[in-house]
Amino acid sequence: MILRFIKKIFLYKKARHQILGMNSRNLDFIRPFNLKKAKEIADNKLLSKKILRENGLAVPNLIGRIRSREELENFNWQSLPEGFALKPNRGFGGEGILVVYGKKKDLDNVWIKADGSLITVNSLKNHINNILDGSFSLSGTPDIAFFEERLKLLKLFKPYCYKGIPDIRIIVFNKVPTMAMLRLPTKLSNGKANLQQGAIGVGIDMSSGITTTALWGKKKIIEYIPETRLLLSGIKIPCWNDILSLAIRAQEISNMGFLGADIAIDENNGPMIIELNARPGLSIQIANLSGLKERLKKVSGLKIKTVSRGIRVGADLFGGEIEEELEEISGKKVISTVEKVKLIGKDGKEIEVEAKIDTGAYSSSLDIELANKLGYKTEIEKFQKFDFSCYEIKPENEQKIKNFFEKQYKSNLSDIKNIAVIFSASGSSIRPVIKINFEMNKELIISKINIINRKSLKYPLIIGKRDLKKFLIDVNK
Amino acid sequence: MHPYQQTDILNPIINFFLQKGVPFDTFILILMLPIIATFIAFLRQVVGIKAFGIYTPLIITFAFLATNGIKYGIAIFLTVILAGMIMRFILKPFRLLYLPRVAIMLTIVAIFLLGILALGGNFRRTGLASVSIFPILIMITIVEKFVAVQIEKGDRIAIILAIETLFISICGYFIASSLWMIKTITLFPWIILFTLPINIFLGKWTGLRLSEYFRFKEIFKHL
Repeated sequence: MILRFIKKIFLYKKARHQILGMNSRNLDFIRPFNLKKAKEIADNKLLSKKILRENGLAVPNLIGRIRSREELENFNWQSLPEGFALKPNRGFGGEGILVVYGKKKDLDNVWIKADGSLITVNSLKNHINNILDGSFSLSGTPDIAFFEERLKLLKLFKPYCYKGIPDIRIIVFNKVPTMAMLRLPTKLSNGKANLQQGAIGVGIDMSSGITTTALWGKKKIIEYIPETRLLLSGIKIPCWNDILSLAIRAQEISNMGFLGADIAIDENNGPMIIELNARPGLSIQIANLSGLKERLKKVSGLKIKTVSRGIRVGADLFGGEIEEELEEISGKKVISTVEKVKLIGKDGKEIEVEAKIDTGAYSSSLDIELANKLGYKTEIEKFQKFDFSCYEIKPENEQKIKNFFEKQYKSNLSDIKNIAVIFSASGSSIRPVIKINFEMNKELIISKINIINRKSLKYPLIIGKRDLKKFLIDVNK
Repeated sequence: MHPYQQTDILNPIINFFLQKGVPFDTFILILMLPIIATFIAFLRQVVGIKAFGIYTPLIITFAFLATNGIKYGIAIFLTVILAGMIMRFILKPFRLLYLPRVAIMLTIVAIFLLGILALGGNFRRTGLASVSIFPILIMITIVEKFVAVQIEKGDRIAIILAIETLFISICGYFIASSLWMIKTITLFPWIILFTLPINIFLGKWTGLRLSEYFRFKEIFKHL
């Protein structure tokens, strides 16, 4: 009992150093790194849009803006396209945003909202009046309303979203992306990608851009989209590096040291910055099951000169959780489709080559040239003199050929223990099989590799299924 | 006459103010203010209870102190919040602009309160009807704060913050009306200067709030 209590206290002490709380966020990060001038840019959507656009970053197009009652009265409603988003300039938390999907065909100045209900020009005017009045602005001060192009939902995200558009929140500190989260609008959040309003936040692995843990609302950890069997982990975010580079560039331009960049992906135009946030929320830590404070500490003090360096540092420091997790669960290592392999030949001779991982092949095969270099030259030359012409290479003859080899030739050989009869579209062959050990991803594999001329092929070695039992393959890596 | 006013060990500072004609109760209440404010700051920074900022719980604490009996104060507070909630649902479809909407709210809340006072009189709760006007007016005006939060953060958060405000104000009331506290201030009025270093400490404190230990509990398993 007492021991458990002491353990808990230690845990809390540890948590204090790793998890970013409200006090620390405000005092240690927002205050010193987000100066007033930078914060003003973030809080003013039109201004940040303008500055980002001038610097060549993708932002949704501005359609029009209304600054006063007078402009509202004189506004040309015909100038609006079929779909658009109406936003308050200084709004926050997704409040006051109205998205229109299309124009009602047979009626004048009537639009269709996300939920299929209609909205007339009078209701729109009323909404804009509310915006001008400051009902949705940070301090309740008078505001500007603006129209923006409506982004098209990416097909990949369609099944995961309710109505609205998901976005990706990335915390950038000192030019390094430190933590990321995919935010999915739900029925509860009424199509808004805001966690406070009931959206789903899904943590993202920084190096691969693959989703990890999901958080619904403020506290609840979930695995599937509510009421479905759609798994929330393992979604690969497209254009991941472009998204990260957008976020880092946005930080450079806005001069905000501690930035929460919100980026959405448009079906046609790719990633776009939709909002800059000077006071990013803290729930992102739960979605990533990891503390932000520790990550920020790791990044501070680094000198990052280029965007790509920032991406790399972020990936190295905060990525790879998925792989580690998989490796932990399965006890298997995650490798990509091409891996460095260290072949160990006769008398301990070592040669390092790039090998293609081929799950279509059963056994591994090696280029004859390399086999010669590994010290099997004399054996292979001997083998090449053998005559198998008495048998046609056909599946039904496989066993006969093998028996023939055992009887006739095997006694003359020391390294070649066996033969492989390979039938393939490009030609069938009889290949010598040599016991060669190799090291891949720090695992020693005791393998029997068949030898063939691979001179015209890209990789001198392919690793087949039989030697891949200790590994999982990630084609995205 | 306050019980502590007659002690012969009166602090010279108090004596000075009393001789200048400052009423004893006023003196104590004004010195109570920094203590309650520090208490609210502590609850926000260390415990994580937000409430409606610092002004609202502070002013409600004093409204409670000014009503005769905290139960009437709580009754008035709850009436205001309840009326605010009901009106929100009634006014929603009208889509009114902010200030007129708040004005309507204030009207309805005022009528509601008059009803409550009359009801109190009906049940011979004369204490309720005889509550002085200023605490009542103060509490009516918190409806604006309530509406603002409703718009900014939604109904649920507004109700949570209202409950937190009520909680803090009740605590504040018991602190400010505790005889021990009054006695301490009477004897050592300079003690309120201690709130300064306490607040400097609170203002520099970057640790996790108590509420955040619960909020981030899920992460603990993975540290």
